[in-house]
Amino acid sequence: MKNNDNSQQVTRHWISVDDFENNPKVIEKKKKEFVEGVTDEFNISTLSLLSRRKFLALVSASAAFAATACTDYKDKGEIIAYNKKPEDVTIGKANFYASTYNDGSGILVKTREGRPIKIDGNPEHPINQGKVPNYVQSAILDLYNPERIKAPQINFNGTLIETQWEIADKEIIEQLNNAVKQNKEIAILSHPIISPTTNKLINEFIAKFPTIRLYTYNLFDDIARQNAWQKCYGTDFNNSIQWDKPKMIIALEADILGTENNAIENIRLFTKRRDIENPKDFNKLYAIEGNFTLTGANADVRIRMNPIYQLGFVLGLINEVLKDNPAIDYWFDIKEKVKNYNLTDLANTYNIPVQKINNLIKDLKNNRGSSFFYAGVSLPEETQIAVNLLNEIIGGTKFYKTDDVNITFTRYSNSIELKSLMVRMQNNQVGAVIHFDTNPVYHISPEYEYAKSIDKVPLKISLTVNENETSKLCKYILPINHSLESWNDFQLRSSYISLQQPVISPLYNTRQKEAILLNWIKPQESEKIFELYHKYLKSRWENEVYPQTAQEVDFQKFWYASLHDGFIKMNSQRIEKPAFNREALKLINITSKTDNFTLQLCDNLSIKDGRYSNNGWLQELPDPITNITWDNYASISPNSARSLGLKNNDVIKVSNDNSSIELPVLIQPGMADSLICVKLGYGRTVAGTIGSNNGTNANVLINSKGLSKFLYNDISIEKTGKVNKLASTQEHHALDDEFVKDKHLERGIIKEGTLKQYIGEPDFLRKGEHHSYLGPDGMPLSITKDFEYPEVKWAMAVDLNKCVGCGLCITACNVENNVPVVGKDQVTRGREMQWIRIDRYYTGTPEDPIASVQPILCQHCDNAPCENVCPVVATTHSPDGLNQMIYNRCVGTRYCANNCPYKVRRFNFYDYRDFFANGFYYKDSLKLAHNPEVTVRSRGVMEKCTFCIQRIMEGRQEAKNEGKIFNGKDIKTACQEACPADAIVFGNLNDPESGVSKLRKHKLGYHILDMLNVRPNVTYIAKLRNTNSEDV
Amino acid sequence: MNKKLLDYTLKIRLPITIFVIISTFAITYYVSRPERDGIGYEPQQPIKFSHRLHAGQMGIDCKYCHTEVTKSRHAGVPSASTCVNCHSVARRDKEEIIKLFYYYETNQPIPWKRIHKVPDYTYFNHSIHVNSGIECVSCHGHVERMEIVSQIESFTMGSCLNCHREPHKKVANFVVGSKKGPDNCYACHR
Repeated sequence: MKNNDNSQQVTRHWISVDDFENNPKVIEKKKKEFVEGVTDEFNISTLSLLSRRKFLALVSASAAFAATACTDYKDKGEIIAYNKKPEDVTIGKANFYASTYNDGSGILVKTREGRPIKIDGNPEHPINQGKVPNYVQSAILDLYNPERIKAPQINFNGTLIETQWEIADKEIIEQLNNAVKQNKEIAILSHPIISPTTNKLINEFIAKFPTIRLYTYNLFDDIARQNAWQKCYGTDFNNSIQWDKPKMIIALEADILGTENNAIENIRLFTKRRDIENPKDFNKLYAIEGNFTLTGANADVRIRMNPIYQLGFVLGLINEVLKDNPAIDYWFDIKEKVKNYNLTDLANTYNIPVQKINNLIKDLKNNRGSSFFYAGVSLPEETQIAVNLLNEIIGGTKFYKTDDVNITFTRYSNSIELKSLMVRMQNNQVGAVIHFDTNPVYHISPEYEYAKSIDKVPLKISLTVNENETSKLCKYILPINHSLESWNDFQLRSSYISLQQPVISPLYNTRQKEAILLNWIKPQESEKIFELYHKYLKSRWENEVYPQTAQEVDFQKFWYASLHDGFIKMNSQRIEKPAFNREALKLINITSKTDNFTLQLCDNLSIKDGRYSNNGWLQELPDPITNITWDNYASISPNSARSLGLKNNDVIKVSNDNSSIELPVLIQPGMADSLICVKLGYGRTVAGTIGSNNGTNANVLINSKGLSKFLYNDISIEKTGKVNKLASTQEHHALDDEFVKDKHLERGIIKEGTLKQYIGEPDFLRKGEHHSYLGPDGMPLSITKDFEYPEVKWAMAVDLNKCVGCGLCITACNVENNVPVVGKDQVTRGREMQWIRIDRYYTGTPEDPIASVQPILCQHCDNAPCENVCPVVATTHSPDGLNQMIYNRCVGTRYCANNCPYKVRRFNFYDYRDFFANGFYYKDSLKLAHNPEVTVRSRGVMEKCTFCIQRIMEGRQEAKNEGKIFNGKDIKTACQEACPADAIVFGNLNDPESGVSKLRKHKLGYHILDMLNVRPNVTYIAKLRNTNSEDV
Repeated sequence: MNKKLLDYTLKIRLPITIFVIISTFAITYYVSRPERDGIGYEPQQPIKFSHRLHAGQMGIDCKYCHTEVTKSRHAGVPSASTCVNCHSVARRDKEEIIKLFYYYETNQPIPWKRIHKVPDYTYFNHSIHVNSGIECVSCHGHVERMEIVSQIESFTMGSCLNCHREPHKKVANFVVGSKKGPDNCYACHR
């Protein structure tokens, strides 16, 4: 979009490289309703003689006669009432409980008749404020996972035999005591402990068995950042960052809005400064990255750069910042050190647009004291040190929070500690190893040969919810409670402690992992163990926490109030950041330009380090940028792909020292050249029916020789000649841009502008707009009578300035609306069932594009094209403006989907719960996960977004019961509730005071494809990029 | 000979067969209609609880046991503990009460047979109807006169809509001026 002249040029948005090059296949594809292959299975002639139709005809004929001749009443089943009804349960009404998930997120669990059905964030919680990550939203499936271990097991040479807790406990305690007697080490492998009470318990456990040593690790650790901080400041890095404060944020290879820790909080704080009512307050985000991340997609300016050049770049910036400031004598030594680093040379050598870098320097100078640099976890220690120094120089350090610091109870074990553990295991010096809900066989680098080492350990114990690669090798497999069945407390920041309470009693014969240890310290009768850790927690709170809070109420009241709120506030001390140690910056030769490939290992937004692999909702959640489900892949830039002769889906062999993996290629526009990115967390082999064998295990590439744990130089790539088709939701639902262009309409699907443009001319978007569908009286032309909306009219607005495209709305919708999992094969055919999707468009060249994201759901058109083509009136219009879809009336002609310009309708080609993985999602325990207020759809019916009609009806009926007039103020849809940026606004359009009415009239508001006169009810607020016009 | 047989089949046998089939179908269809709608369904309950005695003769209000009817979608079948409220003292020696205490003390739920049922895809809300002043009788008949409860009205979409569209004709004590029930699909289906 050009800024200076207002000529209305149609910006071309494209969705893949093939699309950009106008590949005729893609154009052909876009014209079709479904991708090729969707209807393949319905060639009648190839079916067996007893086809579905013939079979149905026979069955219906005989059923008709049977029904008429029937002489008995149909049995209607039974009503199983409570024997003694719990007092706080009203059948048919939900109860809400505040608790905490195992990762420390404050949650609010919705239960119906005692079973949890939905997890949202606890709105009062200080960090996540009502929003939770994808894996917490989806945890409902993990709780009811039928493949959870249901009783303790003993492994006899590969055969698992169920046993009693008492037997296992007795044997284990005996062997632990033996190990102590022989002075052999007992190793506990844990993830970092974030619970003060668990921490206390572990210390007591160590006191009881003195040879215990605790090792902690995480697949996605920030050891490089921690080490750098140690060298710069001599302390741990424990500052949280005030993302809402800096005027300019420069993310260096850091996916702060996607995969970085606390992304939920980051998104909330970042988008606070993206309020269209306050355009002068907009912040500016630079993303300098090699991979295309969510942060890059949301950046005002994105500079693509191979991560190995980042050090030279940062040093060049330091040089530049110090150059024009002779006044800053303080940094004279640094100035001397970096004087040879020139950004222009760097830009020319590595083919980076000089203009963008010059603008960055200009912006840095204009925003002195209000800029902040942040380096991602994959950048090596030296780069992190340089970034710390840069922040010191430009005054970025004031954005670290000093009065509310992150709490760490344990430090990551370093590679030396882990190596020596392996050596001791090999030398029979380790008597026992306890896996405290960890899976090191999968997570730890193959360098350590962990699986081989623990073979020598006589006592191997795994405390785990599901079986995994490590539990397979253990003698005792002890099943533990899920987060929703547990008691605990968690402390991530010094200012609060949050409490976890069970919202359902354990479904199986499991125990809380802390209770197992407590029982080993002092064996108890088995009836008492259920309450054991609860009592322990309560007594610690009574003796240690309660006195600190200086409450006036007694402890019981304090305890119940804390449980009710889910957390308590604590007084936290202010910790000043120590002075910067300028000796930390040693000058390292920056990597010169190389033709060899660099490998970057990345985090993901769904299954994280693989522990959520067995969750279908998460596996099927498309990656926000690539839109690929169920798999990981090697992302590679179009240039590099061309030079290697690679196409999408070609399988390549990526090797690094002694390890290699084979995985399919994905050509990712905007990637830096000579860089390969692979997501970790995939390729689990022992993770249950859903989780096993999706993608490739890239953990094997981790070794200590890399630039950092996640970054490796000199990678070799070989073409294998194999092809592995990735399941992408990318081109399936492409909106037909060609059509828009052909009609010469100026209004696109994505409308963007720059901030300057908006401040200068607020209605720039609407300028010169004319509607071809308006009649002479200014009213839209229509051949049918318009609907009237006498009471309430529902509408939604999506603020694209705030939406970052994280996909939380998709997960929340899945859980709320019982959306089935369809599997990789069906996604490949374009049959994914998610009611809301996030479309991603590219603008510009494939080498360096700008990405835009846009959530698309049913637009609930006033003049809906789907409604008038349904031959059985299964989709109709309601008096409150909803486009209703009635499943039991639908016969599955799919005419509506064919006629929908937004492609938001989803068809049940199968009864997916039955079809997918041999009826996995029909297993008994998973039935409990359904929302009882939403129909579970069967085969052959169409479905789509309902604007959460079950919530609307509940609100309406409640208002009526209370005798109030229903104005729809408190109704929130599931996607709106989950959105960490509050980008989605839902409400009553007939109420001029509602947020949605105001946004609909906003000068930046637009409707997509409204030239079709379908009159959609979802308003999009055009995105403003805070760019200099030259950058675009 | 063959031709004659064919002629006979086509002209006589076929029409008669078709006529017999159609008329059988039509007659049984209409005769069995209430049965298919469940009208008159009167299953034996695990405990012979008498609504005539409790609600009729003793005049206990419906809401004393069906507590959720004003609060929730479901009317709520009372838990065994509700019965025990009175029967911990009253009629302890009777056979049915002994059965009740068997369930209560062994902590087993009583498997009451369901009599009134709307399909799974229909979301009927008791509270909204009861709070609008619609009597239980309107749909469930005079339960207080029944020894064994049976279904009186049909629970088809047609019967719901009849009332939603013309409530003043169907509901006793209908307040003139009150609104009609909604007749859009999402009112009941979702």
